[in-house]
Amino acid sequence: MVEKRTADVIIIGGGIMGCATAYRLAKQGVDVLVLEKKEIGNGGSCRNAGGVRQSARDPKELPLAMYAVANIWPQLSDELGVDVEYHQGGNLRLGLTEKDQQVLTTYVKKSTDVGLDVKMISGDEARELCPYMSKAVVGASWCPTDGHANPLTTTLGFYRKALELGVTFVTGVTVLKLQKVRGMVRKVVTDDGIYEAENVLLCAGYESRRIANTVGIDAPIEKQFNEVLVTEAQPKMFDIMIGVAGGEFYGHQSEHGSFVLGGNSGLQAFTSHNDNFVTNSLTTPCISRGIIKYFPMLKDVKIVRTWSGFYDQCIDVLPLIDNVKEVPGLTVGFGFSGHGFGIAPAVSIALSELILKGKSTTIDISQLTYDRFKTKS
Amino acid sequence: MRRHELIVIGAGPAGLSAAIEAKKAGMDVVVFDENERPGGQLFKQIHKFFGSREHHAKVRGFRIGQELLQEAESLGVDVKLNSVVMGIYENKEVTVKKDNAVNHYKADAIIIATGAAENMLPFKGWDIPGVIGAGAAQTMMNIQGVQPGSKVLMVGSGNVGLVVSFQLLQAGCEIVGIIDAAPRVGGYGVHAAKVARTGVPFYLSHTIVEAKGTDCVTGAVIAQVDDRFQPIPGTEKELSVDTICVAVGLTPMAQLASNATCDIALLPQKGGHVALLSKCGETSVEGIYCAGDVAGIEEASSAMIQGRSVATYVCLKAGYLSEEEFQEKYDRYQAALGQLRQGMFSPENKGRNDFTVTDEGYPVSSNLLAHGYMTEDELDNFPAYTYKKAGVHPVIECTQNIPCNPCQDSCKVGCIKVGENITMLPAIDEEKKCVGCGMCVASCSGQAIFLVDETYGEGYATVAFPYEFIPVPQVGDQGTALDRQGKPVCAADIVEVKKSSVMDKTVVVTMKVPLAFVNSARFYKAGGQRG
Amino acid sequence: MIKVIRVAKIEPFIEKEDDGMIICRCEEITKGEIRRAVYEGMRTINEVKRYLRAGMGLCQGQTCQRLVQNIMAQELKTKPSELGMIQGRAPARPVEIDIFSNNITDVKEG
Repeated sequence: MVEKRTADVIIIGGGIMGCATAYRLAKQGVDVLVLEKKEIGNGGSCRNAGGVRQSARDPKELPLAMYAVANIWPQLSDELGVDVEYHQGGNLRLGLTEKDQQVLTTYVKKSTDVGLDVKMISGDEARELCPYMSKAVVGASWCPTDGHANPLTTTLGFYRKALELGVTFVTGVTVLKLQKVRGMVRKVVTDDGIYEAENVLLCAGYESRRIANTVGIDAPIEKQFNEVLVTEAQPKMFDIMIGVAGGEFYGHQSEHGSFVLGGNSGLQAFTSHNDNFVTNSLTTPCISRGIIKYFPMLKDVKIVRTWSGFYDQCIDVLPLIDNVKEVPGLTVGFGFSGHGFGIAPAVSIALSELILKGKSTTIDISQLTYDRFKTKS
Repeated sequence: MRRHELIVIGAGPAGLSAAIEAKKAGMDVVVFDENERPGGQLFKQIHKFFGSREHHAKVRGFRIGQELLQEAESLGVDVKLNSVVMGIYENKEVTVKKDNAVNHYKADAIIIATGAAENMLPFKGWDIPGVIGAGAAQTMMNIQGVQPGSKVLMVGSGNVGLVVSFQLLQAGCEIVGIIDAAPRVGGYGVHAAKVARTGVPFYLSHTIVEAKGTDCVTGAVIAQVDDRFQPIPGTEKELSVDTICVAVGLTPMAQLASNATCDIALLPQKGGHVALLSKCGETSVEGIYCAGDVAGIEEASSAMIQGRSVATYVCLKAGYLSEEEFQEKYDRYQAALGQLRQGMFSPENKGRNDFTVTDEGYPVSSNLLAHGYMTEDELDNFPAYTYKKAGVHPVIECTQNIPCNPCQDSCKVGCIKVGENITMLPAIDEEKKCVGCGMCVASCSGQAIFLVDETYGEGYATVAFPYEFIPVPQVGDQGTALDRQGKPVCAADIVEVKKSSVMDKTVVVTMKVPLAFVNSARFYKAGGQRG
Repeated sequence: MIKVIRVAKIEPFIEKEDDGMIICRCEEITKGEIRRAVYEGMRTINEVKRYLRAGMGLCQGQTCQRLVQNIMAQELKTKPSELGMIQGRAPARPVEIDIFSNNITDVKEG
């Protein structure tokens, strides 16, 4: 069999951005090859808590979130032929103290300022929406249009669809550098030899920075460690996404019935960046204490597994979705800073347009340029 | 966080042995075990172990466990039970669930000795209640005192399948059959033989096709397989059973090693995913070690030596042993391990099926491998069987090179010789005179030695054989002698019953049979037709 | 991870008689579902795990990982060792949130 070494578009990164964009391009007859270092979705795509929210997003990325929720998520299971378990059950952010209330009020204002349906409600009103929470909750922010989905099936669903449409995926291959030929990016040099295309999409999460550096592009991205815990299946309690003002935990109850709850201990910025996705022994206890404060009735639920992942955290907590003018042929889509899953279906539209048309026409991504970073004075 | 020099995870044979070794050298060591009793799999093993004296040969597994525990206790080894190690973190931190809390510990060194878990075999109906692992059946019988079922099909003829089948018989169950997809018995021939002589049929080249029943197992359908292990249509047989025991191997429980980021590889010879180890048992993470079945499926005897060997290295690294002391111990333990790892069933010979002769050059019994018992003319090739003398003398039906020699040690007169290389088959010293004490019969862990006297007189012979069932026959009882296949061959009268504490519950029963059957009568059943 | 080239299968999915047999008992995933997942493109044990939940139940793959691996290896005509493995993660046994919340870092006794 003659190995495929060239394509119209080479996508670096087999996560949800790469798989979804491959799918969109292939749908339009484009010949696509995806290169992935490990397994499909092994990075942030399968290591997030499945949030699909519009609330508490920076207005610059809000068009992506709104487009995805309005136009794509509700039909995505049908489109992919895989149950992405999308539930639009709303999002409650809970507060226990006065200070919490202030934090939440600021969130709400940020969202209402851009026209989102978010409001503050009382503790009692919150308990009406979700009777399982502690009486100690004094108030909450409530966004009825937020929701959650299953990142594992969604990512693999996009992958499977892309395969069906003729995309070639090569996994187990590490990209070493990009190389320009006659002024345009052309060669993708890997530990498995060279792949070539006129268009290269770099969407490799936190691996992207290193690869971008090889063609003189940098981005203020850092790996940031975060952990999640998963419980055994429980009878269906609520569909709502939960967050707390203090940030101790966030998450939801999945369709399977298990609770998927992320959180951090406050020490995570200084925790090891071991490539093996290790967890820290103090985080789960910390998250557990947070859970019990707000949902005391969950205390006897058993935790079955804990895992970790890395955000590709950008300095302004926003992604880079752009064509790189100084490296013609190179498009970037990374830096989603831990909240890329919910907007991924829309990001893939923007990326495919950037590649095929030179600009994003469907969704406004004008503020997510790759060279936007300015000094403070 | 409380820091120890050594944390051992698992108080089974490997873990306890490691802790004992470390404690003796002066190390600060603690052992965590999730169970409420220590000893791992040892306490389920009611059969006598093989090997030599230093390997605890002829001692029942659970007694070895008791000895190990006593040694640990007398040394003051801290064994924390009901303590579940939940995870191994960076810098050798360990979290332990105990008494409704998560406790954090740290260690200079960690020895993972978490053992192995049973494999499962999926077939139609394998999720019906009544399909259980052989190890689970063993736990039910030997720890919990519960009969797993009444009519059992054993799937798998490796040592676990054979040993557990015998124990199921001892517990009063009926073994309807032992099947194996391979064309030959997987475990020791002697384990198969002691089951076969009770009448249990072996179906080699057979697989289970279906478990029948709705709320519980009511039957099993087995079929013959071709040389690609596919069921041959038309060969299906339905057996009436209420329990299907699955004995298809063990897999190391390497999850904690994986959690600790040790490099793991899938090594079929070791039983599955295992941490890659140096020859001293260290994983790719400095200071984390593996010992026992978790390092590769062997047996308890190997696990105990491995535990000591690995702990010895830990003691060296921690400064409790000098290089010389370490080397001396390490070499000694490795030599002991080497002895166990010899012969037909050694780890390096695993999967080989081309043995045609024993090390001595005798033709290997094909019937033993194909049916679980030997024929007389196959046995004729073995001098320890054909040896005859006036008066009582041993007849040894041990025909595979397995490291084992308690028979040699058991004979005070020196009749039986194995030699320096303990995988050699026992030979009978023609110069020595057997006194008929029966110790060899009771000491053979394979129950493969008989005391025979063709010169008993009046047209009769006596055959003494090991008996480990209840009720024990009484002198004067009249019954039927069974041959190696468990078929009745002649009338048998019980003339002697020897019990002694040294024999440790193996009763040596002597039956009188017509001389014509002296070479075929090898077991006994009460009742049956006379004459 | 070894290099794997993935393209869609041209030939149709062939159903087999024992497709209905349960393989992952915790999550009740059948052999047919696993075979179909492989057919649809899942090439590693983790991809099958995430796609179907096989290995994500209470026993975390203790019983089924080996079985899933064998089925995948048969479908892909490859060696089980090339399919990756399910990483061991804390807690090694399911533990209540309440017990987790009660963690002791300064263990006093021996």
